[in-house]
Amino acid sequence: MIPSRRAFLMGAAALSAAVATPEMTRAAAALNAVAELKADWALATRDVAADAPRHALRLIHGRAPSGLEGVLYRNGPGRFRRPGGSATHWFDGDGLMRAFRIQDGQATLEARFADTPKRRTETELDAVVTPGFGTRGDARARVGSNDDANAANTGIMPAGDRVWALWEGGSPLAMDAADLSTQAFVTLRSDLKGMPFQAHPRRGPDGSIWNVGAAGDRAVIWRLNPDGGLNQAEVLRLPRASYMHDFTATDRHLILVMQPWLFETQTTPIINGLVWRPEAGTHVMVLDKDDLSRRRIYELPGFFHFHLGDAWAEADGTIRFDVAAGEDPRFAVDGARVLVEGQGTVPGDPATLALITLRPDGRAEMTRSNAVGEFPQSDPRRRGLKRRLTIHTGGETRGRPLPTGLALQDWETGRSEGFTFGRHQVVEEVLFAPKPGATAERDAWLIGPSINLDAGRTELHVFDAARIADGPVVSWAADFALPAGFHGAWVG
Amino acid sequence: MKFSALILSAAVAALAAAPAFAADLTVVFPDAAAEGRIMVAVFDSAEAYQAGRPVKAAQLDAAAGETRITFDDLPDGDYAVRAFHDLNADARMNTNPFGMPTEPFAFSNNAVGNMGPASWDRARFPAAGSVEQTITLK
Repeated sequence: MIPSRRAFLMGAAALSAAVATPEMTRAAAALNAVAELKADWALATRDVAADAPRHALRLIHGRAPSGLEGVLYRNGPGRFRRPGGSATHWFDGDGLMRAFRIQDGQATLEARFADTPKRRTETELDAVVTPGFGTRGDARARVGSNDDANAANTGIMPAGDRVWALWEGGSPLAMDAADLSTQAFVTLRSDLKGMPFQAHPRRGPDGSIWNVGAAGDRAVIWRLNPDGGLNQAEVLRLPRASYMHDFTATDRHLILVMQPWLFETQTTPIINGLVWRPEAGTHVMVLDKDDLSRRRIYELPGFFHFHLGDAWAEADGTIRFDVAAGEDPRFAVDGARVLVEGQGTVPGDPATLALITLRPDGRAEMTRSNAVGEFPQSDPRRRGLKRRLTIHTGGETRGRPLPTGLALQDWETGRSEGFTFGRHQVVEEVLFAPKPGATAERDAWLIGPSINLDAGRTELHVFDAARIADGPVVSWAADFALPAGFHGAWVG
Repeated sequence: MKFSALILSAAVAALAAAPAFAADLTVVFPDAAAEGRIMVAVFDSAEAYQAGRPVKAAQLDAAAGETRITFDDLPDGDYAVRAFHDLNADARMNTNPFGMPTEPFAFSNNAVGNMGPASWDRARFPAAGSVEQTITLK
């Protein structure tokens, strides 16, 4: 028995070696990792098999404050793994648009995949084949233009009765705001078809929408009317080819923060062409919104970042904004891979909040806080204007990915107050939702979802910005977990 | 007598010029917008495809509703088609400031490339007798 059994097993091994490609083996490993939930946080990168139709969330704590009505749209990757090959990086999953709708004290949730060419190709092949930010892809990829690789998975911009699913290397993808059905890629002007439109557009106090699209050392600066129509687009040459995920703005300036993670070779995946050169420092370019040729460059020691807070200019010309700053791009390269593997240790330290000050005399300073934080957000009533507060996720610890709480940073007092759910919750980006008719910065609710790892479900929480440490004023729960999203928008 | 000899010699000449078998390739663009013109190029080898040396080329007056063309009497063999929709009729494939095409284009088999134009291997198709390629310009 034993010899024949052994022979059979060896035969099977030889067969599988002949048939199974390394990619299949890796895909199987990734599937197993999730099946076994090797890390307690692995639910945060689970695969969603299909769209989730709108359904009521269950009230699990408190009650909805009166006056809180609106929709929290959120985008983020919802599918990473397929039998014939998988995404190996957190940023390369298929965009899954979610809508948390709050009305009459009740909340609902629905989620729908962005119907992209990438997703269609990969559904047909039952394999992730498209090169991405960190995923290599393979010879079966069908990429005739950048939008064929567009995962539409990063951000969301409301535009009338549509929401735009945003990526950073291609066009916005319009989806119906009412049912999240996919319409088409947005071409803002026929000669600008396919130009990149990044995932962090910023509104000015006048309602105009600004955004950046970058390709190496060139960028297009988009200026849109409040309804999403094109006002102006201008192409600039940048002083360096830096990886930029975000930019920021005051009421009068655009601010491009060019970190020393530099495009040195054109290749796929994107991260393979980037080189970290901290000695080159971080350069901050400030442009005049009314005349983009008027620009000034400030220099800071090199730091890594994805996300910036909204900026403001003071009477004497001083410009300030915050940033979730890290030491190096190890999370972007390796941590995001660990996340999709669903197991392992994330290298480096979590990002911390810092305030950057640009002085009229050309000096630049960076003041680091002690607050561990990512996804900085602020009061939409003060976009581009002086403010004190930044809401951000927090509680991330060395080695373990993903936040476990949220905190409100007061830049005037330097104080931080927050709420920690604990390690059984993965906290996602939290947004300000202003109280109707109120103007004070703390007259706002803070709204964002979490993944309850113990209960295996997505939850939605609302805090009062004036009493964040008291915990949520209301929480609702779905009966299943969606994977962690990236960015959202509150439409009140 | 003289007349029929002429016909006969013409027929012989035609036979000599054309291979024993010939294909009629029809290319259709059913979804094309009624504007500008569609530029179509037919290639008969990987080398010609790579070098951009078409064996046949044509322009369709899409503005006038022309969305179909037949290339008669091609020798049997493998072919590939490239097409683009010159929406503004400036005879150029327009690009955005970063160099990406802004006018619709497509290849036979509706093939899509891998970080570039579709390869000959993806776009090639055998032509013998009457063949039709229905192409969606995107």
